[in-house]
Amino acid sequence: MLPTDILLIHASMIACTPRVTDSANIGTRLLIDARSGMLAVKELLGSKLKFGLIALAIGLVVSLTLLMAAMSEGLLTGMTGAKGSLAGDALVFQGDTYPILERSVLSAEDLQRIASAEGVANSYGIGHVIVSVNSTDEPFDARVFGLGDRFDQLPLVEGDLVSGPGQAVIDVTAKVTGVGIGDTLGLTPIDEELDVVGITEDRQYVMTPAVYVDLPTWERLYLVTALGRMQDAEGHGAPEPELLARQVSGSASIAAVELEEGFTLERLASELGSDFVVVTPEEAALAGNGMPEMVVAIGGIQVVSLAIGALIVGVFSYITTLHKTGQIAAIKALGASNGYVYRQLLVQITLLVPVASAFGLAMTLGASLSMPPTMGLEPQPERWAITLVLVYIMAYLGSLFSLRSILAIDPATALDRAEH
Amino acid sequence: MSLLEVRNVSKSYGSGHASVTALSDVSFVLDEGRLLAVLGPSGSGKTTLLSIIAGLLRPTSGQIIIDGKPIHLRSNREAAAFRRSRVGLVFQDHHLVHYLTAKENLLLVPHLSGRIQHQHRELASSLLGEFGLEARANHTPSMLSGGERQRVAIARALMNEPRIMLVDEPTSNLDTERGRQVVEMLSRHISGREMTCVMVTHDPRMAEAADEALHLIDGRVHSADAEGVLASAP
Ligand SMILES: Nc1ncnc2c1ncn2[C@@H]1O[C@H](COP(=O)(O)OP(=O)(O)OP(=O)(O)O)[C@@H](O)[C@H]1O
Ligand SMILES: [Mg+2]
Repeated sequence: MLPTDILLIHASMIACTPRVTDSANIGTRLLIDARSGMLAVKELLGSKLKFGLIALAIGLVVSLTLLMAAMSEGLLTGMTGAKGSLAGDALVFQGDTYPILERSVLSAEDLQRIASAEGVANSYGIGHVIVSVNSTDEPFDARVFGLGDRFDQLPLVEGDLVSGPGQAVIDVTAKVTGVGIGDTLGLTPIDEELDVVGITEDRQYVMTPAVYVDLPTWERLYLVTALGRMQDAEGHGAPEPELLARQVSGSASIAAVELEEGFTLERLASELGSDFVVVTPEEAALAGNGMPEMVVAIGGIQVVSLAIGALIVGVFSYITTLHKTGQIAAIKALGASNGYVYRQLLVQITLLVPVASAFGLAMTLGASLSMPPTMGLEPQPERWAITLVLVYIMAYLGSLFSLRSILAIDPATALDRAEH
Repeated sequence: MSLLEVRNVSKSYGSGHASVTALSDVSFVLDEGRLLAVLGPSGSGKTTLLSIIAGLLRPTSGQIIIDGKPIHLRSNREAAAFRRSRVGLVFQDHHLVHYLTAKENLLLVPHLSGRIQHQHRELASSLLGEFGLEARANHTPSMLSGGERQRVAIARALMNEPRIMLVDEPTSNLDTERGRQVVEMLSRHISGREMTCVMVTHDPRMAEAADEALHLIDGRVHSADAEGVLASAP
């Protein structure tokens, strides 16, 4: 054998030996972990009632979080579903009036300017007006949206799209008042009528159903509503109907815009100047009507409920730890490390959280049955997965409460301390 | 060579005005196969002595030598490893894990060292047999009598085949007859084996089964019976 061979063998032994022992170490460590889990599982099974109650408490927090999420979703759809889902890259409001849809007015010239602005591939006007429907068993307010184009954006649940003046597609939430396809809606006090030809969904605005008509129909409704309002206010002195009609003709409340490839909202905004405000439909949905405050409030409740969850896990694990101080001291006296004791707690939490989450989900589904359909809980595996992860994080955070007390337990107290 | 050597051990709790001297200048040696009873009134320092030998407390001064090696210098982690491998501990309040059966409580000891093997299961069965607990192997502590619990605790302390057993008031919750039975079983197990045992008790009748006795009063060795026990100067 050549000296170089011996060197090579030595080198390979040096290179291999540590690796072999390393992987062996990791192997035994994993085994120890699995076994320390078994002790934790035995404790869980030995105190089913106690751990069941803890799981129930965590489950309540989980269900609170899920309900909050469902409610915020429902509120968001109810408040601004119709606004946020308008088809287009951007919505253009009259300057100064944003974010109040009710006050925005774009004249025929304005719409023309928007349509011919640089970067605009396509645009259409959207009219908005509030009406009262009185022909049903239960009168209700509705939000009329006149669409200049793109009726295909409405998801049809039943019936057909608007194909001419006087026809309407109405949100499914209006069905609870008895409205169906083929019905004629009588509007007061303007004394107009609309024929329901289709039913759409998730299209509400400020908790009232949206009614979609074509732009000429909207124009007529808007005109009579405006005239009626002016007469109401003054009792007399309304402007000449012909004059007003000329002003309203060809106008809309806002405009929806599809931009050319690569053209940004910012460029369109600077293109159009300060007479207009350019935002995305999503931005518009979250602006006005108290939406920012509502979103913050609901988000806050969710964060607080998660924090309460962390506190519950923390307090429970802290109390159970205090409760078995003697036991822990004895196990430590027998030679168990702090890490071993803490690991037991972690294993228990890891097993408790899915049980708690299942409780929480069941409670949420139960609760959502008693809620109006618009606030119902739809299966959202993604949101549930995120909630599960958050609950795990808060549970592990809560367990840190106990880590301190585990570290503080002096194994010497196990001797000669009778605890009765 | 003696298995356990306690050299001039003193221990004070606290400092300044609040300082309490629990042990002062305690010395003795103990050979293999011997059971030493440590006697003394309440507060005389018996538990303190046991805790120091177990490495649960550090002496203020003095040395503890086990198998020729000083153990009082170890870190907490080293002391814990030492207890896992070399020490059997029996607590006054048995401290059995309430959700584990008798046999599982015994297997907890090899579990804490990392692996439960076939030989551990066999050892557990034979120890349960030796202490008259075969029929109780699958019972949890709440189903056992006080004497049975204490015997399970002793069997558990023997699971790591310790060099040194440290037993604190094993009989205080038992009547005299049952207490004596437990101590006799313990004594029988130790004699002829390569181990030794220090048993704390305040009951002189329990000390009868011991090979040697050490009386502590106010933290000092008052008297030592039998050879091999060195009394400190009165
Ligand atoms: N952690 C401590 N802090 C302060 N003083 C302590 C502490 N532990 C024990 N002592 C004091 O040390 C002295 C000896 O206590 P030790 O527990 O060793 O006595 P003991 O002989 O075991 O008594 P008992 O028979 O009542 O168990 C007592 O005066 C006690 O009050
Ligand atoms: Mg004591």
